[in-house]
Amino acid sequence: MIFKIEDVTVYFPYDNIYPEQYEYMVELKRTLDAKGHCLLEMPTGTGKTIALLSLITSYRLSRPDSPIKLVYCTRTVHEMEKTLAELKVLHDYQVLHLGTQAKILAIGLSSRKNLCVNTKVLAAENRDSVDAACRKRTASWVRALSTENPNIELCDYFENYEKAAENALLPPGVYTLEDLRAFGKNRGWCPYFLARHMVQFANVIVYSYQYLLDPKVAGIISKELQKESVVVFDEAHNIDNVCIEALSVSVRRVTLEGANRNLNKIREEIDRSKATDAGRLRAEYNRLVEGLALRGDLSGGDQWLANPALPHDILKEAVPGNIRRAEHFVHVLRRLLQYLGVRLDTENVEKESPVSFVSSLNSQAGIEQKTLKFCYDRLQSLMLTLEITDTDEFLPIQTVCDFATLVGTYARGFSIIIEPYDERMPHIPDPILQLSCHDASLAIKPVFDRFQSVVITSGTLSPIDLYPRLLSFTPVVSRSFKMSMTRDCICPMVLTRGSDQLPVSTKFDMRSDPGVVRNYGKLLVEMVSIVPDGVVCFFVSYSYMDGIIATWNETGILKEIMQQKLVFIETQDVVETTLALDNYRRACDCGRGAVFFSVARGKVAEGIDFDRHYGRLVVMYGVPFQYTLSKILLARLEYLRDTFQIKEGDFLTFDALRQAAQCVGRVIRSKADYGMMIFADKRYSRHDKRSKLPGWILSHLRDAHLNLSTDMAIHIAREFLRKMAQPYDKTGTMGRKTLLTQEDLEKMAETGVQDMAY
Amino acid sequence: MAGEQVEKRVKYKSSVKDPGTPGFLRIKEGMLLFVPNDPKSDSKLKVQTQNITQKFTKEGSNKPPWLNLTIKQLLGRSHIFEFENYPDMHACRDFITALGKSDEEPKKAAVLTSTEQLSIKELEIRFKLLRENSELQRLHKQFVESKVLTEDEFWATRKKLLGKDSIRKSKQQLGLKSMMVSGIKPSTDGRTNRVTFNLTPEIIFQIFAEKPAVRQAFINYVPSKMTEKDFWTKYFRAEYLYSTKNTAVAAAEAAEDEELAVFLKPDEILARETRQKIRRVDPTLDMEADEGDDYSHLMDHGIQRDGTMDVVEPQNDQFKRSLLQDLNRHAAVVLEGRSIDVDSEDTRIVAEALTRVKQVSKGDGETTKDANQERLERMSRVAGMEDLQAPQNFPLAPLSIKDPRDYFESQQGNVVNVPGVAKGLKRNVHEAYGLLKESIVEIRATGLSDPLIKPEVSFEVFSSLTRTISTAKNIIGKNPRECFLDRLPKSTKDEVLHHWTSIQELPRHFWSSYPITTPYLHTKVGKLKDAMSNTYSKLDAMKESVQSDLRHQVSLLVRPMQQALDAAFQHYEADLQRRTAKSSGGERPNGYV
Repeated sequence: MIFKIEDVTVYFPYDNIYPEQYEYMVELKRTLDAKGHCLLEMPTGTGKTIALLSLITSYRLSRPDSPIKLVYCTRTVHEMEKTLAELKVLHDYQVLHLGTQAKILAIGLSSRKNLCVNTKVLAAENRDSVDAACRKRTASWVRALSTENPNIELCDYFENYEKAAENALLPPGVYTLEDLRAFGKNRGWCPYFLARHMVQFANVIVYSYQYLLDPKVAGIISKELQKESVVVFDEAHNIDNVCIEALSVSVRRVTLEGANRNLNKIREEIDRSKATDAGRLRAEYNRLVEGLALRGDLSGGDQWLANPALPHDILKEAVPGNIRRAEHFVHVLRRLLQYLGVRLDTENVEKESPVSFVSSLNSQAGIEQKTLKFCYDRLQSLMLTLEITDTDEFLPIQTVCDFATLVGTYARGFSIIIEPYDERMPHIPDPILQLSCHDASLAIKPVFDRFQSVVITSGTLSPIDLYPRLLSFTPVVSRSFKMSMTRDCICPMVLTRGSDQLPVSTKFDMRSDPGVVRNYGKLLVEMVSIVPDGVVCFFVSYSYMDGIIATWNETGILKEIMQQKLVFIETQDVVETTLALDNYRRACDCGRGAVFFSVARGKVAEGIDFDRHYGRLVVMYGVPFQYTLSKILLARLEYLRDTFQIKEGDFLTFDALRQAAQCVGRVIRSKADYGMMIFADKRYSRHDKRSKLPGWILSHLRDAHLNLSTDMAIHIAREFLRKMAQPYDKTGTMGRKTLLTQEDLEKMAETGVQDMAY
Repeated sequence: MAGEQVEKRVKYKSSVKDPGTPGFLRIKEGMLLFVPNDPKSDSKLKVQTQNITQKFTKEGSNKPPWLNLTIKQLLGRSHIFEFENYPDMHACRDFITALGKSDEEPKKAAVLTSTEQLSIKELEIRFKLLRENSELQRLHKQFVESKVLTEDEFWATRKKLLGKDSIRKSKQQLGLKSMMVSGIKPSTDGRTNRVTFNLTPEIIFQIFAEKPAVRQAFINYVPSKMTEKDFWTKYFRAEYLYSTKNTAVAAAEAAEDEELAVFLKPDEILARETRQKIRRVDPTLDMEADEGDDYSHLMDHGIQRDGTMDVVEPQNDQFKRSLLQDLNRHAAVVLEGRSIDVDSEDTRIVAEALTRVKQVSKGDGETTKDANQERLERMSRVAGMEDLQAPQNFPLAPLSIKDPRDYFESQQGNVVNVPGVAKGLKRNVHEAYGLLKESIVEIRATGLSDPLIKPEVSFEVFSSLTRTISTAKNIIGKNPRECFLDRLPKSTKDEVLHHWTSIQELPRHFWSSYPITTPYLHTKVGKLKDAMSNTYSKLDAMKESVQSDLRHQVSLLVRPMQQALDAAFQHYEADLQRRTAKSSGGERPNGYV
């Protein structure tokens, strides 16, 4: 359908639209007009993504004189694929109606590991080895050497891409990773470098959060993006965590040992280089005197992770004299390692601020703050000069330099915590020195500063006023949308008791109680016998899940479950989990039905949808609180209290409940879909916990469903499933329109939007 | 035999001196196909397999394994295939020979009464069935011994009863049970430390399917290195070590005993399969790809110990395997289903068959293009939002109703209830009358152009329906035999029941022999018709003989039977007339009745 929102003609690839999608677009359009940032919460299952894509691309079409670029950030690669698939549908529709002028170039960008087509490089195990294997074939000096020595192996795809030079362009269209690979294979061009090159020409870029938030990557990939860009963070409920993770580093014993080995190697390289090609080191020295703006000199393939500390002035400043010479720099690093080694040798937990850490480092090892600040870039420069290609070998020393730079750059918002062992496993000594970031706004600040509009959106952003504080920005629009329901297609329940009327909870003192474990098991046994297709269960942690499944196995509960449905489980091995998910879907598709056991805060809970028959019921066992004794968490809570006056308890509940909402919110995809959610813990019946759930779940949580036992829940589930099986009117009844047609929209445009559906 | 095929790597030569084109030879029923490796090569070959004569080189002679196929239709042009080894060639040769036989089979079957081909086993099954089922025996006696049906015809409609043998031939394969068998508990005698495991073929199958390493070990070790019993003893020893979770002991024992170590080590075959499968996984699920983009957890970056992710004891210990992995693996195997069609007690055969199946599927893995295409299509299909779009028209499958009586009764209930209620609520008598008048006026004006059914017919249908159903419902009740038949004298009851079964039997054979294509069928139909008219008259006689108060009920019971027979007779007559008209009464004697 095609309709107008004020002066923008919106092309929407479906015949109907939900009223909340329309409203969402209206708000989004206002944000774009105001060239400001916004915060939009809209329930899952209301087509956020397509509404966003459709409005922004249409907005671009309506302003041909100042075309905006869309930078769409997703949490995961599979979400990226989904987004691109939706964009494809939209693009086809726009081209159908507008012809070639609507053509855009949209690409997904990922790491070498996901884009490489060179089979030899791909044979490497993990991302870092793939990166290194690629550099071994594409670094400029390797290629220069190969002209003399034909035995050096190069990558044909890269060579072809280089040969094509300026002509290596992608024709307009929407490219998923698979499409990019196919295109690259077909043309013989390297898809990775092609995609990176196309970033500056593409109208829509879809990539991971980290390409914009993590300074290590952002410096390379995203530096050429124009200001007139709209940046969208989808599924952004965890964005504060991503931000603080991007700026946190930790150092262990193995890191130090590895770093020492790296230094030895670097030392050897320096000696060899001195003997054979002293000029190169001298040239580097001269460059460093002038400042660090060296990256421009180097050709595309040679860059790697850039400075983790963002300030641009660092590039213009001259590198301090004491680390300009390669040998001196190695000496400084040695002293740093030694100092860190001493600090790790502690018996007690220590907590320190960066300022005091830097001053004691200065007094004991004689390394100044300014020197620290330059460590990372100095190392990169040295590694380029020494022509080191196997970068994955040098990760430990890079980590240490990263740490040094961060600690030298930021005085606030960080703390250093040294722990001799993990709190939960005191018998295993595993000392760790952690530089932990507490201030989420540090990593995202450059994004807000640099781009015209930043859109933060998710299904769960409650309480919505907290996010601007955590990220310290002022949104021009901040709204939470409700879901207009055609029928009650979600059925949240709070289960507080088992069938024997004993309370159930994952509270620490109760969780291993055999009665609770049995009641949890019986609940699932009963549910799998009445719920069709897929059932998903979330547990509070891996160890809890491990334990409870083992107990169920011993007591025969697992056997009873397996009589009804196949069982699949998320493990800590990603590959295995992915295959388990794939099989789970297949079991649901073929009608056999399956149960998926997963973990809140796990990878599955973060990004996998259990829509339609893939999830008719979600059971959330317990409240997924963080481990409250963690030193880092305590430090962060302290920071939040001091800076934003957020109470510890409030933040913990907020965090736990947003995770729970995230887990259960994945069951519906559209209003035609339906699903049940069971919160199985007595604590959910308390108002202070429950009220933190997003509004769209709360509005369906009836008072009668707040304090259920297993048999009552079964009864309600039966009724619900029967009700959902009845035919219904998709467009909504009794004046409450939940599905709008073209005419409805036209009518609304005349009368004004306000008197709409809700 | 249908659907089977043999595929072998060969070199195709058009003459003896030709160096040969490498490629694949694929033989299916009725078709022989040669596909060269080089797609540009023009030596592609496609031949019908009828009337092939074959010559081949003998094993042991120093010639390469050649198979020379001469096809008669092509004026004796011959094709020579050079195989990689003799077993391959023999496999193909046997297959072609078998094809040749199966081509001839139908002709034979028509001529032979295949009693002599029956194995003793099958005969035994038949006798057993007859012994156990007196009704069947009576039918058998009546029709087979009176030569109305042959033995084979009689059994042909009862393949299901013949048991195991025919189940295997049926297309649907049995799935696997969802339950884990790997957790089998040993039984103890309580006094000594000895434990006993009971292994069934199903358990063995699951163990092999879930643990390729065990399967491979079995093929390698049994029986050359150890007996099957020893093998399983070792296996359960290893399982026991797992269950104790004492990795140190496991490691120590594995170091001493290399066969035992095989069970304790992580499964490499499985790991390889996993690597292959992960490439074909739905991209919207692929969490492994995320790892590639995750730069904030680059070694020691990100937050390690903030309590969001809990720590589980390190998993990479090679002698540790978790229950969770086992569960996932088990469910995956169940989902795959029983992929082999071997129903053997011999463990080795099962193991080998499984290995073969895996290799084939590995071969498929290389041709991922289709899979990719399908994946993408599926993705774009799922990408759309279902209720925003116009509904898609999916093809409907017809409703199949198993027991028409149930269906009819439920429908009748609706018909009786709904209009009554609707009328009562919405329309009064005047309105109804008005409607009727209107429709009459309409009919008068336009006329009934072309009545679809003759009025008499519809009346007949209508009256019989109302009468039979209502009376049957009221008097006979739901299960007519129970209440009504009990009122009949025993002899009559038996007779009715017997006729009922024979009427089930005869028309079935009768209808299945149409269209009549061979003289054999012709005689068969004649015989059947005689038998049926015989039964018909018996039914009539029975109707006459019962007491007058029961006569009506009996005739109601008998009517459907007679109707069935009538339909058969009618068809027979019509067919006969057509035939005589066609062949102008020439070759077959007329008036067969």
